[in-house]
Amino acid sequence: MRIIDVHTHPVFFTKGRKKSELQKLVTHGKSHGVERMIVLGDVLQYGGTPDAEQLRLINDETGNIQKMFPHYFVGFCYLNPNLGEKAVMEEVSRCVTNYNAKGIKLEIANNASQPCMRHVAKACREFNIPVLQHSWSNSNFRPGMENHSDPDDTARFARRNPDVKIIMAHLVGIGYRGVIAAKGLDNIYVDISGAFPEDGLIEYAVEHLGSDHVLYGTDIPIRQSAVKIGAVLGAKLTNADRQKIFFDNTAQLLNLN
Amino acid sequence: MLIDTNVNLGSWPFTFAPNRTAAQLTKHLAGSGINHAIVSHFGAAFQPDPMPSNRELLAATQKSSALTPLPVINLRLANWRDQLAECVTAKATAVKLLPANNNYSLRDKVVGEFMTALSETKLNLVINMRYEDERHRYFALDIKGLPLADVKLFLKRNPKVHVLLAGIMIPEVRELAKKSKNFSIDISYCEWINSVEDLVKLLSAKRIMLGTCTPLLSTRGEVDKLRFSKITKKAMEQISSTNAQKFFNLQ
Repeated sequence: MRIIDVHTHPVFFTKGRKKSELQKLVTHGKSHGVERMIVLGDVLQYGGTPDAEQLRLINDETGNIQKMFPHYFVGFCYLNPNLGEKAVMEEVSRCVTNYNAKGIKLEIANNASQPCMRHVAKACREFNIPVLQHSWSNSNFRPGMENHSDPDDTARFARRNPDVKIIMAHLVGIGYRGVIAAKGLDNIYVDISGAFPEDGLIEYAVEHLGSDHVLYGTDIPIRQSAVKIGAVLGAKLTNADRQKIFFDNTAQLLNLN
Repeated sequence: MLIDTNVNLGSWPFTFAPNRTAAQLTKHLAGSGINHAIVSHFGAAFQPDPMPSNRELLAATQKSSALTPLPVINLRLANWRDQLAECVTAKATAVKLLPANNNYSLRDKVVGEFMTALSETKLNLVINMRYEDERHRYFALDIKGLPLADVKLFLKRNPKVHVLLAGIMIPEVRELAKKSKNFSIDISYCEWINSVEDLVKLLSAKRIMLGTCTPLLSTRGEVDKLRFSKITKKAMEQISSTNAQKFFNLQ
């Protein structure tokens, strides 16, 4: 089956930058049938709330990775919505113009339910791109993790902006409650990246969201292609559903061939 | 030949994990290429006395050539010697401790007494580090992983005993490997881009076994973690089967 990995960090806390290391990752991906990887950036190398200059450095690195392997890596533009509308729009414009960024990546600079998310929604509309929001159930949050978006927060953002396509990241992290939060919101897609492969969750997501709304992703290098692919292959799904999850949905969402 | 050292019967609360019969479990494992499994019973993690679940486990696996029972001893209970004696009588080849689930510490005095008693048997020892990742377990089940400092101390206090640590994570393996060699691991909760390759470098293949933590984790995903790792044929055989055959005295 053809596979696109919608959630990767080829450079992780500054490791993996060399062309030879990236080539190794491409070889690794291809050995598992992964045709393309979406690069989300080395998002935490400057902490959770990067400034404009730090964002530019991260996004330039993503762009350079894409330029080195244009047929393999596809970049997203990483943002800190707290920096305001002007900064958000300028950075997205720069990433789309210079690097043909296919989406926006949000981590933990803010919570997805906060007002500053309107800038992100505006950028998504103007550049016709989706946003991937790091999401995790706040059931086990520790103090200081308020800016991790709970699936209810990401769903709230989706309800406020029904014309914006949103990837709610980390199926196991959002759990069953996250799937229920996303249910009925046609503009939400859930990626299966991150965390250990809890059995049964992929089937649950397909049952409640439809296989059109589930995307294959890993969170490489934190996670492993073989495990995530095996979890999809081992799930009680039809091959048609698997093909949508592995490839078709992301290809359509990002307009990739 | 694939031997899975971390499989469970019984039900786990707050999940939809299937509560399979021994026959259903064997069929499910075979679907991922697993020929043989070392099996415990979740009931021992939650019920006030592990023995009803252990007995159910022993009965269920007695009829199966594909399943080997791994009963649990609960050291928080005054009758742990009776539990151990029953496991010996049942011809178990190893027993498992669940300190985090059964509410005791590996530092407790009783653990020393148990290790002395265990040395008088031929039983091997499995210690469970975790069944679930704390970061995405259900809020109502607040059981943390085993404290690494306790495991370190245990390994130091028992240098002649070689234990299997189930459900350990890679950072914990790295930390333990600095000072101790008297442990093996299963790979169920070890994940990084090339986890098995990294673990082989860290520990050598002799100290690694396949474990899937079925039914909580995806059996196929965990098997493929090993199946697609780029290691030598010999290392693959060791991790897939021969290490487990030796540790659990499988024919």
